[in-house]
Amino acid sequence: MGAIRRNGAGYLFLSPWLIGFFCLTLGPALASLYLSFTRFDLLNAPEFIGAQNYVRMVTADPKFMASMKVTLIYVALSVPLKLAFALAVAMVLNRGMRGLPIYRAVFYLPSLLGTSVAIAVLWRQLFAADGMVNGILAQFGIIGPSWISNPNYSIYTLVVLSVWQFGSPMIIFLAGLRQIPTDMYEAASLDGASPSRQFWRITLPLLSPVIFFNLVIQVIEAFKAFTPAFVISGGSGGPINSTLFYTLYLYQEGFSYFRMGYASALAWVLVAIIAVFTAISFLTTKYWVHYDD
Amino acid sequence: MTDAVHEMPGHGSSHPRLSGTVRHVILIAICFVMIYPILWMLSGSLRPASELFGGDAGLIPSQVTVEAYPKGWFGLQINFGQFFLNSLVIAVLATIGNVLAASLVAYAFARLQFWGRGFWFALMLGTLMLPYHVTLIPQYVLFRSLDWVNTWWPLILPKYFAVDAFFIFLMVQFFRGIPKELDEAARMDGCSAWRIYWKIILPLSMPVLATAAIFSFIWTWEDFFGPLIYISEMRNYTVQLGLRSFIDSSGTSSWNELFAMSVLSLVPIFLIFLFFQRLLIEGIATTGMKR
Amino acid sequence: MTMSHFGRRRFIGAGLAAMTLPLLSGTRATAQEAANIRMIWWGGDERARRTNAAIELFKQANPQTAIQAEFMGWDDYWARLATQVAGGNAPDFIQMDYRYMFEYARRGAIRPLDEYLGKQLKLEDFGKVNLDSCSVDGKLYGGNVGVNAFALVFDAKAWGEAGAEVPDLKTTWDGFAEKCAAFGKGNKNKRLSATADGSGQETLFEIWLRTQGKALYNPDGTLAYDAADAGRWFAYWAEMRKVGSCVAADVQALYKQSPETSPIVNGRSATDFVHSNQFEGCQKLVPAELTATGTPVQDGGKPGQYLKPSQLFAISSSSKSPEAAAKLINFLIAEPEGAKILGLDRGVPASPAIRDAIMADLNPNARKVVELVSAITPLVGPLPPAPPRGAGEINDVLIRISQEASFEAVTPEQAGANLVDEATAILKRA
Repeated sequence: MGAIRRNGAGYLFLSPWLIGFFCLTLGPALASLYLSFTRFDLLNAPEFIGAQNYVRMVTADPKFMASMKVTLIYVALSVPLKLAFALAVAMVLNRGMRGLPIYRAVFYLPSLLGTSVAIAVLWRQLFAADGMVNGILAQFGIIGPSWISNPNYSIYTLVVLSVWQFGSPMIIFLAGLRQIPTDMYEAASLDGASPSRQFWRITLPLLSPVIFFNLVIQVIEAFKAFTPAFVISGGSGGPINSTLFYTLYLYQEGFSYFRMGYASALAWVLVAIIAVFTAISFLTTKYWVHYDD
Repeated sequence: MTDAVHEMPGHGSSHPRLSGTVRHVILIAICFVMIYPILWMLSGSLRPASELFGGDAGLIPSQVTVEAYPKGWFGLQINFGQFFLNSLVIAVLATIGNVLAASLVAYAFARLQFWGRGFWFALMLGTLMLPYHVTLIPQYVLFRSLDWVNTWWPLILPKYFAVDAFFIFLMVQFFRGIPKELDEAARMDGCSAWRIYWKIILPLSMPVLATAAIFSFIWTWEDFFGPLIYISEMRNYTVQLGLRSFIDSSGTSSWNELFAMSVLSLVPIFLIFLFFQRLLIEGIATTGMKR
Repeated sequence: MTMSHFGRRRFIGAGLAAMTLPLLSGTRATAQEAANIRMIWWGGDERARRTNAAIELFKQANPQTAIQAEFMGWDDYWARLATQVAGGNAPDFIQMDYRYMFEYARRGAIRPLDEYLGKQLKLEDFGKVNLDSCSVDGKLYGGNVGVNAFALVFDAKAWGEAGAEVPDLKTTWDGFAEKCAAFGKGNKNKRLSATADGSGQETLFEIWLRTQGKALYNPDGTLAYDAADAGRWFAYWAEMRKVGSCVAADVQALYKQSPETSPIVNGRSATDFVHSNQFEGCQKLVPAELTATGTPVQDGGKPGQYLKPSQLFAISSSSKSPEAAAKLINFLIAEPEGAKILGLDRGVPASPAIRDAIMADLNPNARKVVELVSAITPLVGPLPPAPPRGAGEINDVLIRISQEASFEAVTPEQAGANLVDEATAILKRA
């Protein structure tokens, strides 16, 4: 009886999502899974070809590996840097100080710009050979390359863009910090705990669910990153495929080269890869994430 | 993450008096880096288009002209006032839907025991992982069969069914941070799950609800792909669609008008941010709650 | 239970609030007898203003036809169009690009227009070349909206300051290299090179091949050049780069096929290569006055240029009112009232009568474009064979390989071999 009631309550609260999932999300997802086993040129009906798309991916597609490499570099660099930056700024901004709302808003501004086409123009202004960054470097006698259009460096300008838009994780960290009761710090201070000790013993453990959330979300988002490369490279992933993000490649295959079946297969491989990373992060939670329950 | 952890104590928590000025100086320096693009966009909107790309375009225009603003505002058949109104309606409705639906579902995942919870949770996270490009066409077919094409429904209604798992996951993490003794005690007093959600969880979750509202509003405001695919008539355009109408890489583009309208398009979301961040500050810390 | 009741009430409340907004309802095809045409094009605000004005005029003469116009920038256009077509909701009236025309026509997404010729479509004075350039496998698939040539644009003042002679219609490839070298000798501006790097521009590569009697593709859809040809092409530009005549690799790599990213607009080169319909777009973004001329030629060689449509108006094969759509096409490209409003925005009109009719109202920059196309027209060669499936992908490969060559990751010879290898593989797959 109690179990039924508990289940009933659980499913009632869950129902908006369940309805949305079964009516809106599941159908298109399954359709794309089916398409991944077809040849589908967008304009004609899909034609079933078994696992050919998947076979091609691992045996005969150098661009698959190239784009995967670009994406892995991007994930490995942008996620830790962005989170570190977001947490650092959130810690600073969490303290009572004058002008706090202004700082917070200003630090969020770049994230408001999102994927505006203006970003593409701006990034060229900053990171081209005669851009602002090299202008500053020149003051120190350093002649910098054209960061954005040199295949050896272009991916890093996208990492910088990602880190620069650290607003969202920062806000989430801030919200998390607000949830930590101040009296815990007061008590710790009275006990003579040093600030660094307070950080390790109070802030970090109590913030760990939020850190975990930001980590999982940023990893997923970085794997799926599309718009930065699309906007900055003009959809090409260039120069020389140096910014060919996985989803950009997938988009090209689907919409530029009329191979939506292959694009769907690429998408599902990405899902598998992200799922593995996410599962691993969840398995580690028992060592470092502290829930109250 | 370890970097941050190491520098954190020195920056954040130690000797607030001593480092106060230093901190302001550092923050203002960072502020400039952060705000530079906005200033640059602003200056771009105030100069003639032929001065934008020469390469020597600094922050200060050689001649200031505001003509891009009226030209941009009335530049399309339908003026930007309509687009702002459209975006505002869509964003407000989407935000309400997201916050309501996601908090209900997140409460179920965070606090209620039911069969299959882990399974559904994993499935929900899974929906975050599929790139939208490959579900675009099947989804278009679905929404078309629902007769939603060229309406705002595809941009609004799904939010009321919590299709964006980001918000659910976000709230789950925060709800789990609320001390369990609180609802345990309430349950002892005979409170229903609904009352606990409404009277305890939600009031204690203002920071995360504000966060979700901020993101929801801003992301809907900024969303470009959804409107691009589903809205065709110009009187239904959002601001983002209007902005894209100035630029055509294959021919002639009105860049200064684009910058002018981009600057204006930031104003509402900036105000929304300022408004909601006040809720952020009034977190659990100010409710005087004891653990 | 109470909670869901509440949730639902809230939800319905919000929904009702939304429904009371008049804007939210989608427009439906209400017409029984009258035609209802959905029209889609890519372009910026200027094009939208002109096209909408022309549509209004058409509606006055044809009140029974309802027209819904949609437009967006090039970057977003194709994903949206493909989604609509795949979703069974193709617009009736579609602006097509020359290359995409082949993809859409061969896949049966747009319909042949031959049956409307002489009836709704009166394109007699377009001339055979301009009709052929809108045909696939012998069938007409679109109305030619604008004739496009490939142009060499330059900043005459910068060339003058460098004390070099500007290129003209007779300049050969070797002559162009010499002129650029002379520019380099006299040039004082360190940021500025004589020319952009054209090695990754497929149209320029094609013109270069054609001047030597070759082509990009054979009529059977195979490659019409070999590794040695491509190697020589990359070598030509490698030499230009070496002597400082063209911009460095990392400057050219900023180019993203749009005017605002081109070296000439960014003040890095005094010469660039663009399609004639992009000339005004470039001019709008630079303070210096630009001049347009033809691309280099070959002494004793064949004509390299050919005229192709900058864009076409096509009709989707699922359209329920193709006759009305054909009538609209005719109004926009073959009747002076409509064509005059569109002006030169989409390219130079194919019909000489229309061209004459609009000439009087043109601004100086637009006039330059018409003059250029008119000057090039006697010099053009025949239309090349239709590009095969996969040609778009090969274009992207050419851009990438030209960058590999310019960044010296491979030698010009290797680049030529790689291009042929990859292009052949793509053609085999498609």
